[in-house]
Amino acid sequence: MTDDIKICVRNLYKIFGDDPQGALEKVRGGMSKADLQAETGHVLGLNNINVDMPAGKTTVIMGLSGSGKSTLIRHLNRLIDPTAGEVILNGENILDYNERRLREMRKHEMSMVFQKFALLPHRTVLENAGLSWEIEGKNRKKYAAEATKWLNRVGLEGQGEQYPAQLSGGMQQRVGIARALTSNSDVMLMDEAFSALDPLIRTDMQDLLIELQAELHKTVIFITHDLDEALKLADHLVILKDGFIVQQGEPQHILLNPNDPYIEAFVSDINRARVLRVRSVMEKTDVMPADIAGEVDYDDTLESIIAVSEGDTTNNYRVMREGKQVGVLHMRDLVRALVPRHPGEAA
Amino acid sequence: MATYDNFFDTLGLRGWCGDSSGGGLSSMADLMGQAGGDADTTVWDTPFPSLDALHDSCDAIPQSRDLTQGLEQGFLAIKDSLKVVVDPLTQPLSWALEDTLWLMQTVPWFIMIPMLMLITYAVGRSMKLVGLVALVFGFLAFIDFYEHTMQTLAIIFVCAFICVLLGVPIGIAMSRSDRVQRSMIPILDMLQTLPPFVYLIPLIFLFSVTEPKLYGIAIILYAIVPVVRLTDLGIRLVDQDVIEAADAFGMTNRQKLFKVQIPLALPNIMAGVNQTIMMSLAMVVIASLVSAPGLGVLVLRGIRSLELGVGLLSGLGIVLLAIILDRVTKAALARINASQK
Repeated sequence: MTDDIKICVRNLYKIFGDDPQGALEKVRGGMSKADLQAETGHVLGLNNINVDMPAGKTTVIMGLSGSGKSTLIRHLNRLIDPTAGEVILNGENILDYNERRLREMRKHEMSMVFQKFALLPHRTVLENAGLSWEIEGKNRKKYAAEATKWLNRVGLEGQGEQYPAQLSGGMQQRVGIARALTSNSDVMLMDEAFSALDPLIRTDMQDLLIELQAELHKTVIFITHDLDEALKLADHLVILKDGFIVQQGEPQHILLNPNDPYIEAFVSDINRARVLRVRSVMEKTDVMPADIAGEVDYDDTLESIIAVSEGDTTNNYRVMREGKQVGVLHMRDLVRALVPRHPGEAA
Repeated sequence: MATYDNFFDTLGLRGWCGDSSGGGLSSMADLMGQAGGDADTTVWDTPFPSLDALHDSCDAIPQSRDLTQGLEQGFLAIKDSLKVVVDPLTQPLSWALEDTLWLMQTVPWFIMIPMLMLITYAVGRSMKLVGLVALVFGFLAFIDFYEHTMQTLAIIFVCAFICVLLGVPIGIAMSRSDRVQRSMIPILDMLQTLPPFVYLIPLIFLFSVTEPKLYGIAIILYAIVPVVRLTDLGIRLVDQDVIEAADAFGMTNRQKLFKVQIPLALPNIMAGVNQTIMMSLAMVVIASLVSAPGLGVLVLRGIRSLELGVGLLSGLGIVLLAIILDRVTKAALARINASQK
């Protein structure tokens, strides 16, 4: 990819216990998480993590509970310090920062949205949204305009004087997002930001995030345990299991080429027609096929194509991108892509 | 012939003990024993090898009376140097108590009672409570307890204020360091369980009974515990997620303390203040033994000269005072809780 890399994680290890450095040697020597715990009582949180997070894109880190995803995101702003490794932001290793520089970074360059919202209950919505300005020592008058702008942007017009407890969960998380946006930082860390919300509201919030992203192009690092959510939001998907990265890359690619039984088990349950797009299954060619049934867009989902074709599996479609042909879609390939590869085939 | 003679003889310590025969008589029991002559002692009568019992056999071992006397001598020996340090440190307490007592007794009742009502309204925002305060002070003044009530109130105000002034920072220090917490908890436990009369005794030795700080210190030592404990607890109970958010947005430790931890711990701190005020009131009665003025003096008079009516009425006065102090601080607490929900 030619994207700029905003955050770059290199050889990151985190071991919890009394003597992490001693345990680190054993892990580097190839000891597994279970063996390490049984033998030394140390918990291997993260095991040799390497991720490049592209600027202006959404990187989703997905894994089940205990996979280390929340630990990983807390390394990006050093709420947790690693046992070994580097976290490079804009070319600087943030592990070299002193406390003062670290606070500057947290104030201006990274903001965070939390699963349990973590708003200050004794402050109004407006005062919560303006938190990062207040930490700078600016008073309410100075940040009111900026905070109100972002509160309005996330759909909280006229709620500024309420207290967080007076709002519903979804609205509270909107305050959380407004608080992150008001800090005007480039990077937004979202730790299971929508996991505590009920499904319909969650969908709303995902749409809101996509909308904001299209407009603002922040570098978003999003943690989730929900594959549907991950596929909906991700430009770059990282799948964690037991503290190491099983697979990372473009979500469509992972879906079509899972390299591990763990991921196959994951992807077998989802609605592939809704997630996969024409570009992932088309044949790349600029030769005009003989019998085309119509034109479709490069970014259409397979679900919409099935609707267009009315179930006819013999059709071929011309795939268009910005008015030019980029490929041909054979309905036969489309149908084949809907069935997950058999686990035996993967190896 | 004492019980443990053989013990010292077999250990060969007789020489070290010195000649024990005819050692000084120490207790009534000894005298009785002497008078009754040497009765046959059975195994059942074997005394516990206490200081006194061992002393009977061996003069070199001190009696328990020597132990208590030693403590007393020791205290008296350091008393003067202790006074040099403690006296100036606590002198402001005397001044504060004297001045507040003077002020509350000098301001005439027709200004004082409306002022107390105003304070109640400012704190509690409840007309019902203001009515209760007016009623209680009206009643106490009507039965000629006004002077004593004001004295008690003055002492409580000063002592509770100092408790909060010292207690909240101690509580904060405890919440920030497990080591401080571990070392403070036994001290707090001791202050809370030691009978208040016990620490009145060394205080009497240390200061003259005419000094107000004598009872001031006693009240503060007794009443400071809840505000310390609940400040510590309140800050430790602040939601870790919120603290994490404060960290993630780059707050300094000081900002975290004043903008997050203390405001969120305020309901607990206020509950501690409420308890502290109630305990100062309890102690103010006991402190009248060492010259604290106020309703306690009337209670004491009731006991000393068996004036049942005075005792009962002043007891009732203390209860009424306790009720309004409790209600007013609880109303303040409820307002804080309502604002945080």
